[in-house]
Amino acid sequence: MEALFDAAPFTGYVFPNETVIPWSLMIVIYPYITGLVAGSFTVATFYHVFGVPRFRPVARFALLTSLSFMVFVPVPLLLHLGHPERSMNVLLTPHLTSAFAAFGFFATFYVVLVSLEIWFAYRENIVAWAQERKGLLGLFYRVLSLGSYEISPNTKAYDAKWLKALAVTGIVGAHGLHGYVGFVFGSLKSREWWGSDLMPVIFLVSAITSGIAILIVLYVVTSRVRKVPVDLDCLKGMAYMLWGFLIFTTVLEFLEFTNMIYKGREGIETIVAMAIGPLGFSLGVLQMGFAVIAFFIMTYFMWRSTQDRQMVIGVTISALLMLVSVFAMRWNVVIGGQELSKTLQGLLSFHAPLLGREGLLTMLMVFALPFGLLWVLTRLLPPWVPKPDHVLSR
Amino acid sequence: MADSESRMPRHIVRLLLIFAIGGAIALIARILFQDKSYGRYGIYRGDAVAEIAADEPMYQGPGYCQSCHAERHAEWTAGIHKVVVCETCHGAAAKHPSAKAAVTVDLAGKSTRVRIAGERLEHIKLAIPADSVKLCTLCHEKMPGRPAAQKQIEVSSHAGGQQCIVCHNPHSPKIGAAGAQKAGKPGDAAAGRKKAAACAACHGAEGVSGNPEWPSLAGQQRGYLAGALLAYKSGARPDPMMSAQAKGLSEADIGDLAAFYSDASCKAAGSKSSAQLASAGKAKAAACASCHGAEGVSGNPAWPSLAGLQEAYLVNALKAYQSGARRNPMMAGLAKGLSEAEIGQLAAYYAGLKCK
Amino acid sequence: MKWKIGEHRPDRRRLLRLLGRAFVYAGTALFSVGLMGRRGLAAAIPALAGTGYDWTKHRWGFGIDATRCIGCLRCVEACKTENGVSRDAHHFRTWVERYVYLKGEKAPRIDSQADPGNIAASGSETEYRFDNRYRDAKVEKAFFVPKLCNQCEHPPCVQVCPVGATFRTPDGVVLIDHDYCIGCQYCVQACPYGARSFNPKHEVTDKCTWCYHRITRGLKPACVEACPVDARIFGDQNDPESPISRFIRENRVQVLQPAMGTSPNVFYVGIEKEVV
Repeated sequence: MEALFDAAPFTGYVFPNETVIPWSLMIVIYPYITGLVAGSFTVATFYHVFGVPRFRPVARFALLTSLSFMVFVPVPLLLHLGHPERSMNVLLTPHLTSAFAAFGFFATFYVVLVSLEIWFAYRENIVAWAQERKGLLGLFYRVLSLGSYEISPNTKAYDAKWLKALAVTGIVGAHGLHGYVGFVFGSLKSREWWGSDLMPVIFLVSAITSGIAILIVLYVVTSRVRKVPVDLDCLKGMAYMLWGFLIFTTVLEFLEFTNMIYKGREGIETIVAMAIGPLGFSLGVLQMGFAVIAFFIMTYFMWRSTQDRQMVIGVTISALLMLVSVFAMRWNVVIGGQELSKTLQGLLSFHAPLLGREGLLTMLMVFALPFGLLWVLTRLLPPWVPKPDHVLSR
Repeated sequence: MADSESRMPRHIVRLLLIFAIGGAIALIARILFQDKSYGRYGIYRGDAVAEIAADEPMYQGPGYCQSCHAERHAEWTAGIHKVVVCETCHGAAAKHPSAKAAVTVDLAGKSTRVRIAGERLEHIKLAIPADSVKLCTLCHEKMPGRPAAQKQIEVSSHAGGQQCIVCHNPHSPKIGAAGAQKAGKPGDAAAGRKKAAACAACHGAEGVSGNPEWPSLAGQQRGYLAGALLAYKSGARPDPMMSAQAKGLSEADIGDLAAFYSDASCKAAGSKSSAQLASAGKAKAAACASCHGAEGVSGNPAWPSLAGLQEAYLVNALKAYQSGARRNPMMAGLAKGLSEAEIGQLAAYYAGLKCK
Repeated sequence: MKWKIGEHRPDRRRLLRLLGRAFVYAGTALFSVGLMGRRGLAAAIPALAGTGYDWTKHRWGFGIDATRCIGCLRCVEACKTENGVSRDAHHFRTWVERYVYLKGEKAPRIDSQADPGNIAASGSETEYRFDNRYRDAKVEKAFFVPKLCNQCEHPPCVQVCPVGATFRTPDGVVLIDHDYCIGCQYCVQACPYGARSFNPKHEVTDKCTWCYHRITRGLKPACVEACPVDARIFGDQNDPESPISRFIRENRVQVLQPAMGTSPNVFYVGIEKEVV
């Protein structure tokens, strides 16, 4: 029989109850997936709200990406819960002083919002497909069209207004959502590693970084699969964003750590011991090291200001590095925070289980799900716009 | 025309309708599924409080034990262990003595959904701790961190690793506490000699008894003698002859008598039984040695020396412990397992030993 | 507006905190009134197993006299039995820590009954005893410290529970509704004292309740009942002659991690600065 719990070995003194680490891989992947939502939505907003035309090629794809990940954000949480069947309690009787209580509403609201945003962005296509397609697929589009095929200047004006209003709400929501995820950790005074005022901000900017990064990777990969050339102008735009947020993120993370060391409050020896010991590789190499390498690669291409195949490769590699770096950051926060004992006089060591409800395999599966959904969504609602069409149809 | 242009398109009207329906369903669901007691006292399920409070207590307190074990209870309250409640050593009494009394509370209390019942129904009979060394050292092992006021022993050098209950009564563990009073004045042997006149008829003028059933007192442990007289006086150790004798004695008299007899020089009664019997007794006596001394001469003033005592007296004493006529939890436990033959062997062995 | 020296200056932090709290409470209250209006905000007293216990009349408190504790762990044993806590070395409602200051060492050596060495000494994870590892060491100072839930006035665990499955009663005990807990373990994270654990079998959080089912019947908590040296003191802070009121009055007591702003209701005597 599988053991009911894994007990973590420790050094120094830790409270007896701490030896079972409460939050494991599912809580690592949860803010990571949430972050991807926020980042890709930000790119879409740049087109839909700020009207930056160079993002047009990925604007709708970014929305689909955002939705694909958002739909699966609750999955790791449900897998983590001891009683997922009671999860509706969060919606029925939310306890408003809890950072978690907002989640059910936030997630629901956000899924609805992104879906609506997509619906308005695609409405003209949906109406067209509803009239063209036959069979099951045709039925699907007809349901989506809500039985109204009306396309007129009036409807176009309405749709554009809704699209913009939703995007504005969405950008607030996306950032609120991720700032809130940071708040989940940052608001806990019990954990020295988490209880920082900078935590929500760091979560937010690193979320955007990772979201842009995954969009870059997905865009380049799908372009290759579709055998169409990458829109270099668009890619460079995303690269600029990635570059900027990367710098922002890394500086904030560095500031936070320096702050902690400089203040040197009680238990700082233990914190340093953790940062250079058990967390050394994931903090020093994966999180910080990868971000710095990505920074130099990107700086090189930004500096050169050429747009060629090399830039595509360089930017994609940087994006991949940032995806790893942000994942490592989530790991370091969630796992690191719990490896540092509340006594500040001991360290625990977490060992990720391979199998089980919260094991590595489950985590990989959970992370694979959004890609599957994204594949389905791009089939149902092709996001790609023909190249020559440079006029904004707003 | 301007009117029709600004009119809300059908698909938006339908969308809003869907939201209205969705919202209504959510509200109805909330009213239907929300627990009825939620929010009665605060932002929680009000019924939970009574459910938690309905858990049955497992630890019942000494009063519960007293109702059946009055004797043990009295013994315990008189001793220094009265600060340690019964259940601290014997475990929770809630499921004792009968299975019907077993409670199946769980961390979720009354709930039928959450229970750890199995773990609660293990033993209906409460444990009498088998390994007293393991149990007693939980509190009494000498260990840095324990306050000085706590009685502590060096486990490796204390009593050769024997079970604690060999010498200590766990319910009243102070040695000699059973009946023995505070030492009081040391006692005056010379005064005791005068008072001993009344005893001489049976126990001999110098405390060496000539009767096989009456014990010699000369050379006996002072604390034991005093304790025995006090026990006769109080009735804790009933004896038709001795109770009457002891009744008239003051505590000072007792101290003096004890001093006199313990200082008197002893004379072994000797054994009339075969040497074979005595050597068999010697083998059995290993269990007695820790308190009564390897050669039957006790090292502790509270425990009697046995060497050279009257053989018939020793037999009677052991039988009295067996039957309960002489009450002593330690001796009762030790004597319980002895056969008549073994008692004879032990008595023969001790009677034949040289006294101090 | 300027403040002159000597003039009373309102504590800004406190003000902010009060405002924050007022905001949260107002929100919660509004929300609750909105949701539960149909029932009204009842202030009634629950019928506690027909005992006539009135939870508005009591304010329970707990004292720990660390100078008396002998580290026998009978309290831990009693607690596990009384409350059906998982029988292993990783789930405790109450536990005992040992602090040993060796000559020449700055920091104390700390362990609890859950330490592997102590588990080896007891021979099983289901029984608890302290080993004698410092028997031959040069010990400068040593003491035992029992720990349990502090039943804080401002419990961070209650603050973070998303569903209201944990709450503070008017008599001053933080309880968990095991039938409502979703098992997210946010409260486990939020407790600065490590007092909460996650029951692996039932997958709900568990914590010390000061034996709420006992104290509402007029009994002492099981750990207090089992303690052979009166190192644990329990009583009603509303009653000036209760053991806890006397304990607080007659000693210079302290609480754990006061800077957390939790206002604990477990009062300690005889501990050192390293005890958190």
